[in-house]
Amino acid sequence: MSDLVAFSNGLAAAVQQTSQSIFGVTARRRTGSTGVHWRSGLVVTADHTVQTEDDILLTRPDGRSVSATLAGRDPTVDLAVLRVDAGDVPAARIGDSSAVQAGHIVLAIGEGPRASWGVVSSVASGRGGASRAVFDLDLTLYPGFSGGPLVDVSGQVIGINTSGASRSQHLAIPAAVVDGLLDGLQRRGHIPRPYLGVSTQPVRLPDALRQRFSLEQASAVIVVAVQPASPAAEGGLMIGDVLVALGGASIADPMDLRRVLQPDRVGESLVASVIRGGEPHDLHLRVGERSR
Amino acid sequence: MSRTTFTFAWASAPGELCGVVTDLSYLVERLRRITAEVADSKASLGSGVLWPAGYVVTNAHVVRGSRAVVRLVDGRRLEGQVIARDTDADLVLLRVLGTGIPAASVSDSAPVGSLVAAVGHPLGVRGALSVGIVHAVGPVRAGGRSWIQADVRLARGNSGGPLADASGQVIGLNTMVVGPLALAIPMREVACFLRMAGVRAS
Repeated sequence: MSDLVAFSNGLAAAVQQTSQSIFGVTARRRTGSTGVHWRSGLVVTADHTVQTEDDILLTRPDGRSVSATLAGRDPTVDLAVLRVDAGDVPAARIGDSSAVQAGHIVLAIGEGPRASWGVVSSVASGRGGASRAVFDLDLTLYPGFSGGPLVDVSGQVIGINTSGASRSQHLAIPAAVVDGLLDGLQRRGHIPRPYLGVSTQPVRLPDALRQRFSLEQASAVIVVAVQPASPAAEGGLMIGDVLVALGGASIADPMDLRRVLQPDRVGESLVASVIRGGEPHDLHLRVGERSR
Repeated sequence: MSRTTFTFAWASAPGELCGVVTDLSYLVERLRRITAEVADSKASLGSGVLWPAGYVVTNAHVVRGSRAVVRLVDGRRLEGQVIARDTDADLVLLRVLGTGIPAASVSDSAPVGSLVAAVGHPLGVRGALSVGIVHAVGPVRAGGRSWIQADVRLARGNSGGPLADASGQVIGLNTMVVGPLALAIPMREVACFLRMAGVRAS
């Protein structure tokens, strides 16, 4: 057998094997999505494809339907976890996403099964620390592929694909991020929603201010509202404060704030670097949990 | 539950993919030999698959008239006569006169995820190779016609050309492009058309 045929057979086997552990997900209008049976009874999919918390229907690999409930979600990384009686559907083989490098050949698999292939174009550590890493993919995520597995040539799941809410992106959330979310879910019984109690708007930083405080970012966020008795209020944050960093991550826009406030940050005390009246201040904010 | 682990021992260091690279260059040469360039005076340039005994199969939308010029990879230009046509299936059978014409070997299908190679003349580029994988096999929409759907970049001029597996067996006839997807008529359907036309499948 030629090397090319062996390679081809390996790709087909990877698809066949992984397809035994994926579900079709019907939790939004029109196009469905795909979910991966990650751990016993827990199916992971892309959060943006879950638009209802009730009436979530999954399609097993054998075509039978089974209902699921929402176990938790983390919109900051576009992941949702569904609870289901998976029966005899095996959990997927999860690989080591920290070993993934740009140039690795990968497969994206959708319910059906359907497949596409390509390479990892870059492994972006992203802003806000290593746990925010995403894989940029050079492959086609066909309609319904969001939430499905990114699989390496040995047939191990190394991430969850998402085209994002815009459908124009081709990204995968690394398996390690999914594992972290599921660890938290299983420890706490739910995925907490972090909460500061602050409303912000983006604001451009004048060059003079940037030079004076040695800031690389061109923008920050300005506090426009602080909820009474919230973590932000208790930490001393005030309307008009310009927040430039939180927990060691620079804050250039309100999305950066969301990126910092991940579920595992609840209960943590974060240093907020603010500019108030032209002077720098460090405040300590204890991340709260939004009531469910 | 027992599971097979697929390891690629050769894929651990740069240079060890050489076997795959060499095999691919053999594959493209092999596919070019059984791929014809098909031109009729009315339609634009298309491709065709060479069959034993001087037969050439291509899409009906490539050859609209009763004859076409068939160019082989060795440069020979042969006069092709339309023997059978099925417009619904988008298939046409031509016959050319000549000796030493190679013929494709065929296979029914290939599993989802397996490699596929297409050779054709996309946008006039002669003998261009495109490589991808089988995306799915079946209708694109419920109730529609069954296709071999491939995640491979094709263009006008690939029409009528071969979609082959990694060993060079032709599994489909490239026919349509829908977004990033290429749709090929499965060989079973092509063989059925040939039988109706009185030609034995190879």
